[in-house]
Amino acid sequence: MIKTLISLFALILFAGSALATPLAIEQAGPGIYVHHGVLEDLAEGYHGDICNVSFIVGSKGIAVIDTGGSFNTGQQLHEAIRKISPLPILYVINTHVHPDHIFGNAAFVQDKPAFVGHARLADAMERHRETYMRINQTWLGDGFAGSEIIKPTQVVQDSLELDLGDRKLQLTAYPAAHTNTDVTVLDSKTSTLWTGDLLFVERTPSIDGDIKGWIDVISKLKTVPAMQAVPGHGPVVKAWQTALDNEQRYLSILLNDIRASIKKGEVMESAMGTAAASEKDKWALFSIINRRNVNTVYPALEWE
Amino acid sequence: MRQTKFMACGLLAAGVLLAYSGGAWAEASDKVWPLVKEAFFAGKTIEESPLIRLEGPRRAESGAQVPITLTVDKSLSDADAIKKIYIIVDANPIPLAATYYFTAATGKPQLSTRIRMETDSYIHAIGETADGKLYMTAIAIRAAGGCGGTVDGNDAEIRAVAGKIKMNVESPVKFGDATAATFIIRHPMRTGLQRDLVSQGYVPAFYIQKAVFTYNNKPVMNVDFGVGTSEDPYLRFNFVPEGPGALEVKADDNEGKSFTKQLEVNG
Repeated sequence: MIKTLISLFALILFAGSALATPLAIEQAGPGIYVHHGVLEDLAEGYHGDICNVSFIVGSKGIAVIDTGGSFNTGQQLHEAIRKISPLPILYVINTHVHPDHIFGNAAFVQDKPAFVGHARLADAMERHRETYMRINQTWLGDGFAGSEIIKPTQVVQDSLELDLGDRKLQLTAYPAAHTNTDVTVLDSKTSTLWTGDLLFVERTPSIDGDIKGWIDVISKLKTVPAMQAVPGHGPVVKAWQTALDNEQRYLSILLNDIRASIKKGEVMESAMGTAAASEKDKWALFSIINRRNVNTVYPALEWE
Repeated sequence: MRQTKFMACGLLAAGVLLAYSGGAWAEASDKVWPLVKEAFFAGKTIEESPLIRLEGPRRAESGAQVPITLTVDKSLSDADAIKKIYIIVDANPIPLAATYYFTAATGKPQLSTRIRMETDSYIHAIGETADGKLYMTAIAIRAAGGCGGTVDGNDAEIRAVAGKIKMNVESPVKFGDATAATFIIRHPMRTGLQRDLVSQGYVPAFYIQKAVFTYNNKPVMNVDFGVGTSEDPYLRFNFVPEGPGALEVKADDNEGKSFTKQLEVNG
């Protein structure tokens, strides 16, 4: 009976993987491939594919950077990789803990890669496990089937170098900024910087870590010797310094407006409608994400 | 006593699950309220009343800090005044977020606070008069993930700052009129439902359970907090200071510690 169930399950898995449509991929340089997620909020109407997922092909093997928001999206990424290269998948890197970036990990377990992330990623995944599993099941329904938390097997304390043969990847871990698990990846061959969600392009930056820490980290990122950047959301940018300036400006205005509101003794609800209003037309999904940012940041800043 | 209370919550949670299992998802369910009502007000009649008003977001931006405002359009000096308000989040694992006890110095109750919401839910405000009559209003709020999940940071550091109080009165104060006071107390308000990564069990509940506000030593308002009140409990409430004096608060946590703060009010 159990054997039958297992083989049935295997059959379903196999059928699933055979049917997965490969993700649409953009080549952003030699051996660099990026899939852009769609512009949806992480809530109702979310389909598990909103962030950028990438892979880098070296002479020895492949590194994957973020895997999407579901096993299904991860499988589609896997299909896209196999259309381009038969080399082994050596590394699966998660840029941070957010569910739209990690739930495709399960589609790579069979490749036995090293799963790589921030030294605090495993704890953060465990803390969020119950909530992430439940709300993503709610949002995605059947589309969440097979998704699970896969923790890092190799961690980035401060920095870590990964070798893909003809190219090396330099990973850097940061203190609390967008989240408390942020990691960036710099490819030596093309000087491309993967920022994870430390950089949002077009989509309103969302805060789940430390707004002041993030503003500081942006200043550090500007010193990285990169030719282009792949953000966590939005297009690959050559003018990545300008993109970082834009983000830093938004975060600084938000911080100042919230501080002013607290000083005036306003209620948080009024700041949710007014803080950073001058940035409204510069970002996508602003009305949803900016309100959420105020709701997240305001209570913490009351104790400055 | 405490044991019984928590057991009742456990049973309630099971009932909530049952009530939810019917539909695929979403939208606050009105099937939960009858179960919650029986747990808290068994056999009693609760009349819907337009005098009690609740305001909150239709969809909460953060389940951890959902801002709500309560107003009661009836003065505490009326003979049939509403003396006490329960704030109940139907679908929370521990539904009772707070109970507010008003006095003549409250005037007409108006207060804003921030609550935790684990999932989409109705919020009920239940008013009770001196002779035990019950009135209610309810609003639906969509939300996710405010109760379980994260206990982060260094425990010693969190405990070192726990109990720090900020209090403020909106100026200029007009004596004899409704005046807005703001109270925030730094506290993690641990629910007892958050995972402990070391022991693989749950981090024990650790929360502010009571706050007593007085003005010139006369009672203004008492609050019984539950863990459904957000981390760093926040209150903005109206009271009527009769003249210059001192607004005082004494807050107690569930481990027997007390915290106090005094604020001079000089018009």
